[in-house]
Amino acid sequence: MKFDGLIRRSNNLLRRVGFLPLMVLLAVVLFSLAEPRFLRQANLINVMRGTGFLVLVACGQMLVLIVGGFDLSVGAVVALSSVVSALTMVGLGADGAMAVWMVIALGFAAGISAGLAVGLINGLCVNYLKVSPFMVTLGTMSIAAGVALYVSAGAPIYGLPEEFTQIFGRYRFFDLPLVVYAAAAMVAVLWVVMNKTVFGLYVYAIGGDPAAARNSGISASAVLISCYVLCGMLAGLTGLLLTARIGSGEATLGSALMLESIAASVIGGVSLRGGVGRVGNVVLGAFVLVLVSNAMNLMRVDSKIQTVVVGIVLIAAVAVDAWRQRVRQRKVA
Amino acid sequence: MIGSSIMPLIIASLALIFGTLEPRFFSLQNFGNILIQSSFLIVLAVAQMFALIVRGFDLSMGQVISMISVASALTMAHLVSVMPDAPVMAVMIGLFFGLSIGLVAGLINGFNIAILGVHPFVATLGMLGISQGIASTISGGFPVFGVPDVLAKTFLHSDFLGVPIPIAMTILVCAVAAIVLNRSVFGRMLYLVGSNPRAADAAGIPTKRVLVGAFVSCSLVTAIAALMLTARTGSGEPLMGGGLMLQAIAAAVIGGVSLRGGEGKVMHCVIGGVFITMLSNGMNMVRVEGYFQMIVLGVVVITGVFIDRLRHR
Repeated sequence: MKFDGLIRRSNNLLRRVGFLPLMVLLAVVLFSLAEPRFLRQANLINVMRGTGFLVLVACGQMLVLIVGGFDLSVGAVVALSSVVSALTMVGLGADGAMAVWMVIALGFAAGISAGLAVGLINGLCVNYLKVSPFMVTLGTMSIAAGVALYVSAGAPIYGLPEEFTQIFGRYRFFDLPLVVYAAAAMVAVLWVVMNKTVFGLYVYAIGGDPAAARNSGISASAVLISCYVLCGMLAGLTGLLLTARIGSGEATLGSALMLESIAASVIGGVSLRGGVGRVGNVVLGAFVLVLVSNAMNLMRVDSKIQTVVVGIVLIAAVAVDAWRQRVRQRKVA
Repeated sequence: MIGSSIMPLIIASLALIFGTLEPRFFSLQNFGNILIQSSFLIVLAVAQMFALIVRGFDLSMGQVISMISVASALTMAHLVSVMPDAPVMAVMIGLFFGLSIGLVAGLINGFNIAILGVHPFVATLGMLGISQGIASTISGGFPVFGVPDVLAKTFLHSDFLGVPIPIAMTILVCAVAAIVLNRSVFGRMLYLVGSNPRAADAAGIPTKRVLVGAFVSCSLVTAIAALMLTARTGSGEPLMGGGLMLQAIAAAVIGGVSLRGGEGKVMHCVIGGVFITMLSNGMNMVRVEGYFQMIVLGVVVITGVFIDRLRHR
């Protein structure tokens, strides 16, 4: 009898907290037992930084996924933003006439506008040309990567303002790099937007049933396009912070972020069919991905085998999720 | 109606533009080049079509190609060093091994998608990671040399009734795929499951088995292309697949295969494959810079699919 209650209570707990936090907790405990260096401060900061970059991109990706789309171009946008902002800052800062702060501000403006532009093209094409998001963003991925390589001639761009790399790349408030705060702020804003505002409601409505949303008077076009624009801008911001971190503009930056951002969202329970997704779970999804690869690095797992493990983790996480949904549906029926 | 004739028209006008800019484009040798180059892409587009018809796609294609290339090359190189006087045997076993890997990859994709209910994007993305890891681990990240010359001699430099082998192979694959899609029960089921899965299920079609069959067909055809490509390079390449997956999907969809499932013909893949190959061949001939070609390709993909949408309205 007592045992029965325990099971029921733990079942309730599982339902309320969800499966993902427990998985993260389990991973942290296992990794710290297997590898003592895992819990060192320097390593935890590394994990936080990696998660920060991924969360920024994954938040945008989540928005697009919830409205029933895809954004394959985010990785290329990160590269484009890196190159464009670096060229802007190097060009404006060359003669030393302009104040450094102005140069950096314009660099930020350039990088984020590059993301905005690609996002806008994505949104307009998906909304008005009715081309499938997969093909549109596949096209803009090729375009953005091509422009980034073309304007940089494929070579890294050096000579960024010292202040830019110092503050946005290396400076730490309370031991944590800036990108962690940026990601945390973004998550907080997005949580409020998705849960407490009309915009968030519309995003879920459009993803859940586009025709019904349009019929009920939601300006679906505007909402859909803004999701793609926000996704592009977030990728642009990530490109800037990554550029500051490595200290040069690179046209090859962020190539893995497209697949990783989709993987983080999907592990976090965002549906690829639209209409479903929570910011908090996406953060956990990103955390799982970064944790697993960090732990494997510490345990000296060959980087070539790591991709195999990540692939299996991805499929397993989603398969478990699909199985739980089937069970739940059977219970309802 | 307009659509079925519009792509050949675009291809013809594109050829005319390139031909005016660069007369060498119209040489017989260059047409031969385009045909041979496009043969690989056509086979890969046919492979993607099997997945696209049932509303899926195969993101793992590129890395599966690398894995098969490396694994079959390693097998052949090893066997030929053990039994130097039987290179044909070594090549046969290597080819068979490569096809079996394709079969297994397809079965895993199909199982994850149909039985476990994982979305094709995630299932094949996971397979991408797995096959990339296997390809680079077993090859150590370097090309695999020591493949017997017989492979290149039979599958690249020889011809069948005057037709170069890569093109003959492509015709064979296209013919078999067309017969399967149009004349077999499995083919009809594929279209039904793709255009309306629920109705197909209600009509008593074994949807899960059909889905598995679609992904197995996709990977098997991919394996054939991977072996053709290995014969062309003469070595197993861990980075061979690279961008081929996106090119193959683009070729199929531009040619007219629908991303929404239920629609797609072998002819679409041929048209799309020739179009993309001719575009990049022509841009190379008139010396468009490589990075700029990426931009053009992106614009072309979007406009191509847009034109396809217009046709459906």
